[in-house]
Amino acid sequence: MQRLQQVLEQAKNHGWPVEQAYGNTWVTLPRTLFKAQMETWKTQGFNYLADIVGLDYLEYPQKKPERFCVVYELVSMPGYKSGDGSRFFVRVFVPESNPVVPTLTDLWLGADFLEREVYDMFGIKFEGHPDLRKILTPEDLEGFPLRKDFPIGETPTLFKEGRFIDPDSFRAGLTGHESGMTGWRGGSRKGYQDVFEEIQKVAKEGGN
Amino acid sequence: MLKEPIRPDDELHSKTSFGADIDDAPELKSEIMTLNVGPQHPSTHGVLRVVVDLSGEQILRLTPHIGYLHTGFEKTMENRTYTQDITYTPRMDYLHSFAHDLAYALCVERLVGAEVPIRAQTIRVMLNELSRVASHLVFLGTGLLDFGALTPFFYAFREREAVLDLFEWVSGQRFHHNYVRIGGLKEDLPAEFLSEMKKFLAVMPDRIDEYEKLFRESPIFYERAKGVAVIPAEDAINLSLTGGSLRASGVNYDVRKAYPYSGYETYSFDVPVLHGGDVYDRMVIRILEMRESVKIIRQAVERLEDIGPGPVRDPNPQVSLPPRALLETSMEAVIYHFKLVTEGFHPALGEVYVPTESARGELGYYIVSDGGSMPYRVKVRAPSFVNLQSLSYACKGVQMADMVVVIASLDPVMGDVDR
Repeated sequence: MQRLQQVLEQAKNHGWPVEQAYGNTWVTLPRTLFKAQMETWKTQGFNYLADIVGLDYLEYPQKKPERFCVVYELVSMPGYKSGDGSRFFVRVFVPESNPVVPTLTDLWLGADFLEREVYDMFGIKFEGHPDLRKILTPEDLEGFPLRKDFPIGETPTLFKEGRFIDPDSFRAGLTGHESGMTGWRGGSRKGYQDVFEEIQKVAKEGGN
Repeated sequence: MLKEPIRPDDELHSKTSFGADIDDAPELKSEIMTLNVGPQHPSTHGVLRVVVDLSGEQILRLTPHIGYLHTGFEKTMENRTYTQDITYTPRMDYLHSFAHDLAYALCVERLVGAEVPIRAQTIRVMLNELSRVASHLVFLGTGLLDFGALTPFFYAFREREAVLDLFEWVSGQRFHHNYVRIGGLKEDLPAEFLSEMKKFLAVMPDRIDEYEKLFRESPIFYERAKGVAVIPAEDAINLSLTGGSLRASGVNYDVRKAYPYSGYETYSFDVPVLHGGDVYDRMVIRILEMRESVKIIRQAVERLEDIGPGPVRDPNPQVSLPPRALLETSMEAVIYHFKLVTEGFHPALGEVYVPTESARGELGYYIVSDGGSMPYRVKVRAPSFVNLQSLSYACKGVQMADMVVVIASLDPVMGDVDR
């Protein structure tokens, strides 16, 4: 994991934000430096682009710098030459007004489908991609389905006298951010400590 | 802004697909013919549509068109609770569906900090490898069918039937097992299951030898597959190819060894690596991988006998359902049960990714949690989708008749490609 240490040092020297959680590492790059830095990392041995993830933070409870974000997963391929298995994520925030990121298809051939998928689902354009088209959704579908403001198209459940259950508000309680139909939910449930222990005891003895 | 406009979606070829030089084409060419194969074609292993430019019999350029099976699982999973999402995971890769269950569960478990009991972990490893064997059997049967060999198909499906029967016995379902839960498993193995597994293990190595004899030593197969559609290691990595297809190109990358999960580091098994990078090696490496899987299953069965009966779920009632018997005596257990079923649990804010090895390559779920009981975003790193990019590269310059064989050797499952 020597290469990962190098990356962390580079990020520290340049002042790029680093997150570490659940065994993964994220480095946030400004959009202007992104392409050049990815090129540098490729020459430093991160030869495998594992994944590109598009994210839409429109409804996210934490404040993020921009609405969209593209996450790239870089790996130094273990089992090939000097690859040491270092693995980290590169995060680039993309503003809603100008959703454009430079393409990586000239560095990694594998970026082709992955970037097309992000374009198809989020409408984030990859500048310089030779063939930026939809890939999964039908040609005549308008809009970008994985954006948070794209409806999921459920039908309300109808009852007599025009009463109906609207799926959105029915489910709103589950997210923990709105009260929903059945009141506030979520958060940690306190109490029942003795029962909690009793259940744990029975479960540990092998009850199912 | 973009320098060039977005191209129309109905264009036949992609500018990123690889082209063979027309001058390299044989003399016997009259004109370049564009041919459409699929999406309803028996040799494309599902609904894959491929457009090829042909000069005589030689492929000059090939572009895969996908999306015919796109069902929007990622969007749907954003609107279901973490436990309900297990319904969707096995439906992506319907051949090695246990790997998807496991990859998803591992991700969420890391998010909520659930601890999986050792017995559940061992059962997971055993069934994951069993499912991998079933997947490779389909790969061999249908792959050799594309070569024109009909017999191996029937042999391979005989063993696969035995594996599916075992799965039906454990989980009640043959394909979409839904056996994994966050924090463990749905229930324990049925009694007598391990002895049936031993019967299966007793015959399986001989059967694998039999399959190997069926095609590996056949001169017809060798002539047909050796040296066809070579992907060198450097380009395979650049194309993000993973799984058996990458290991056939000489790269020793197996997530089970490189980033162990579910206790794979404690099992002794080898990662087969071949160096040809052609169709032949990609077919043969699956046979070798089946042998290693059988090795792991044998060790897991031995361990399960040593471990003996025990819990198969995280005892934490905030994550997994309380024991069934307790519901009759404890009101609070019923409350926990009710809250989990109707509402689910609420992981902390954060993002998580856990790589795993499916029969097709690196499989992982990138899950973003917003603190609610439904994931904020689920991204599936589907190995078939990423591996399919190599098809255009591998097919440049090969004969048209070999195209179906190259598709088979890359082992795409269209459910996994389109999601």
